[in-house]
Amino acid sequence: MTEYTRPFSELRAADEPLFGGKSAGLGELLAAEIPVPPGFGVSVAAFECFVEESGLGERIASALAEAASGELAALERAAQTIGEAIRDAPVPAAVRAEVERRYRELGGTAGGSAACNGATAKAATGAQPPVAVRSSAVGEDAAEATFAGQQESYLWVRGPEQVCTALRDCWASLYSAPAISYRLRLAGHAPRAAMGVAVQLMVDAAAAGVMFTCSPVSGDPSVVAINASWGLGLAVVGGEVTPDEYLVSKVTRELVRERLGNKTVEYVPSPDGQGAARVPVAPERAAMRCLSEDQLAALVEIARRVERYFGCHQDIEWALARDGSLWFVQSRPVTVAARRPQLVTAESALSLVMRKFGAKVD
Amino acid sequence: MAAMTEAQSAFPSPYEIETPPGCEGWQEMYPYYALFDERRRAEDEKRFWFWNSMHFPEPMPAFDVICIDSPYQAVGNWQNRVFAVPPAMGIDYRCVNGYIYISGNPVTDPQKIAERAEFFQKRAGYYYEHWSELYGRWRERMDSLIAELTALRVPELPEYEPDEVAFGEERNTSFYEVLDAYTRTLRLSDLMWQHHFEFLLLGYGAYATFAELCKANLPEIPDQHIAQMVAGIDVILFRPDAELKRLARLAIELGVDGAFQQGRSPAEIDSELERSEPGRRWLAELARVKDPWFNMATGDGLYHFYRSWHDDPSIPYASLIGHIAALNAGERIERPTEEILRERERLAQEYGALLDPSARKTFEELLALSRTVFPYVEEHKFFCDYWFLTKWWNKVREFGALLARHGFLEEGEDVFQLSRYEVAQALDELTLSWATGGQPLGPKHWPAIVKRRKQILARLAEWTPPPALGAMPEAVTDPMTIMLWGVTTERVREWARHERGGGVLSGAPASPGTVEGIARVVRSVEQIGEVREGEILVCGATSPAWAPIFSKISAAVTDVGGVMSHAAIVCREYGLPAVVGTGRATAEIHTGQRIRVDGTAGRVELLNDR
Repeated sequence: MTEYTRPFSELRAADEPLFGGKSAGLGELLAAEIPVPPGFGVSVAAFECFVEESGLGERIASALAEAASGELAALERAAQTIGEAIRDAPVPAAVRAEVERRYRELGGTAGGSAACNGATAKAATGAQPPVAVRSSAVGEDAAEATFAGQQESYLWVRGPEQVCTALRDCWASLYSAPAISYRLRLAGHAPRAAMGVAVQLMVDAAAAGVMFTCSPVSGDPSVVAINASWGLGLAVVGGEVTPDEYLVSKVTRELVRERLGNKTVEYVPSPDGQGAARVPVAPERAAMRCLSEDQLAALVEIARRVERYFGCHQDIEWALARDGSLWFVQSRPVTVAARRPQLVTAESALSLVMRKFGAKVD
Repeated sequence: MAAMTEAQSAFPSPYEIETPPGCEGWQEMYPYYALFDERRRAEDEKRFWFWNSMHFPEPMPAFDVICIDSPYQAVGNWQNRVFAVPPAMGIDYRCVNGYIYISGNPVTDPQKIAERAEFFQKRAGYYYEHWSELYGRWRERMDSLIAELTALRVPELPEYEPDEVAFGEERNTSFYEVLDAYTRTLRLSDLMWQHHFEFLLLGYGAYATFAELCKANLPEIPDQHIAQMVAGIDVILFRPDAELKRLARLAIELGVDGAFQQGRSPAEIDSELERSEPGRRWLAELARVKDPWFNMATGDGLYHFYRSWHDDPSIPYASLIGHIAALNAGERIERPTEEILRERERLAQEYGALLDPSARKTFEELLALSRTVFPYVEEHKFFCDYWFLTKWWNKVREFGALLARHGFLEEGEDVFQLSRYEVAQALDELTLSWATGGQPLGPKHWPAIVKRRKQILARLAEWTPPPALGAMPEAVTDPMTIMLWGVTTERVREWARHERGGGVLSGAPASPGTVEGIARVVRSVEQIGEVREGEILVCGATSPAWAPIFSKISAAVTDVGGVMSHAAIVCREYGLPAVVGTGRATAEIHTGQRIRVDGTAGRVELLNDR
């Protein structure tokens, strides 16, 4: 039988072609014993089954053909046509049954409610736990996909019906205007349009952000660069606020530099229990530091562990739950090697000193 | 580059600086060659001069000018004539309103540079190779120099010469001895400065190269960590305070710590100690410590008014009071040398481990070299700037006292208001009139001059010197200017921008590189079609919908966002400089304006109006 879902805890990097990078990466993080909120991946096969059973293949192809010019207006028309078709089609029964089962299990797990503390405890009974539904891109374009806008996230989704709706929204993002444009630019080299989806228990975050295991700007490997803002991570990832920025030395754990941001908005669970709401932050809190030295040290600890486990620099999304526990919802390699001003190596110390004085040494 | 257009107008001309009211005639305090003179206006106006506020933060008293001449003679001699540093000769100075501006003399002829490089490699290489041995000999020379200074006698002018002059064979007359002692005093200062700069340039060079390697590979490394990896443990500069800590413990052991009360003067403390046997034992120990460890200066500078702990014991006594109070409160006051040593090795180990293997090897070699040269860099200050110089100023004070005793000055301290040539002149007249028994003019001549100069200096102290004068340099290349004063091309640009009153915005350095170009302010995604090839995007923030724009622009500036915001990530992807989170770029910059985006420093310069 085709596998449509699998818990993160059973996924590894090798499952990326089947479940996408996001889900596979969360499985690896769990293997590294990093605290990850429980969840499961929806496979690429589930999307393919959906396209086939709903007979969307041809409609997609013809809409894409009309956007072949690459004109912005044409791209947007195609995106709209395909998006509507995907959202209107039913999720195949077999896929739906599996997704619903896994979703209910999430609510039931003791780990689930413990993990996401504020999340499950406050917001719901076990039956309708709030989850994040995110696209999990496949293949070489995963990195490019991130900034081309194919990384859709639906936060604080509750109830099986809503999960299935978010699932189709993620699938539809494969055909957003920038995504179509991107694949057009690659012409014949474009990979097949395929996508997994990750469904993960929400953390009711007091603060959240991103961290790099090196300086993203200078490439310095001796620091961890941490960004933080109030509420869910959306505000930082979406660039809606100027977050706090901390550079912490891996060698001494000292705060090398900090720049407190102006965190004027935050995302919190909607009062109606469905989705995340964007609310303004009072000015004095907007300017306030969102992490303590201890919390920074704990983040650096995890950053070093993740870096060691993967063997390369990582870009990690984290969330601080309201009970003070730290959770990690994504880690991926730093794709852009920030330019490191490299010295001409293989030179003796003395000849470098000579060069400093303007004496060229051959 | 903009450098050419800025060249003529970057900084005020040194010839157009006005004399502050009441300071007319300030020039007479300084030698003719120290002034911006009309006869070399054409050359001097074209040069770049910066205020050496590091060494000369205050207007120069006339005598203290020797602390400009000697060091620049010495540094030029070593750098230019001994080591022949390829791209740089010595450093010229000029005085404006009592403040000292300096300018390096570059070597630009490639042939000359190559010729010098041969000298430099041979000679500097020899020094680095034999550093410890050469430094050992340096210490001996410095010791004997200080001994000579200490022994140098400033004779009195007696009513009658002693019998030795009449009957002895090798006794000189007093007029000669006074003049000879003065000349020797000046020469000893020259010798000290000669020693001072023998190793300094090479020492800084090795350290600066190590620091540069660290910063190239680990750009965020705090300077403090670099210093910690290199710094010696057993450094002479720490000794004076270490001795005070030892004396503090001794006071407690002897039970005389009660004498050290907050608010008491050194004399009051001493007189209480004199009254008991343990107190006298403590004072005897203090007397042993004083030489040499009280030869610390109370300030860090080259002026006559920085005295030693001998001259002003209130500073070491304040430390003693503090140390004793800390010990009595149960604190540990000694430097935790073992911990410092362990931490120094740990830092070196961990930073080394973060580097590529080839960089690591160079890192370790340079660290070893830096540790070899660093004792000199740290210790020369104690021997030269503190010990020698405070003693030397006191020697000059002895001549001041002699002149004052004979009415040439109202008080000995006034000697510093005369130039060293004027003091020679005054001593000439003093010895002449003393010898002839005639009426000296000095007492009617010098006091008025001293009085006027004191007033001028007081007024000049209220004047704020501009950081730089003259023309914008194409680039700053002089190694000493960069290493010692931190005056880089970037820093000079900043001064120039300030001079022009141009605006500057700062934000997070999000993607490295510098680009100058035309701004395009885009307020919403609908406007992205207006952006032309090569423009600099200025916007509130970007989102994935803005993706198509990044292949067109040359840099990006946003109001909102951090180094992991969308604009930052995409700019790094495309290799475009970016500054994000400036807060007000869209309000302050307008489309068509020329701006310079420095994505490495996180700065946006507004260059001109439309």
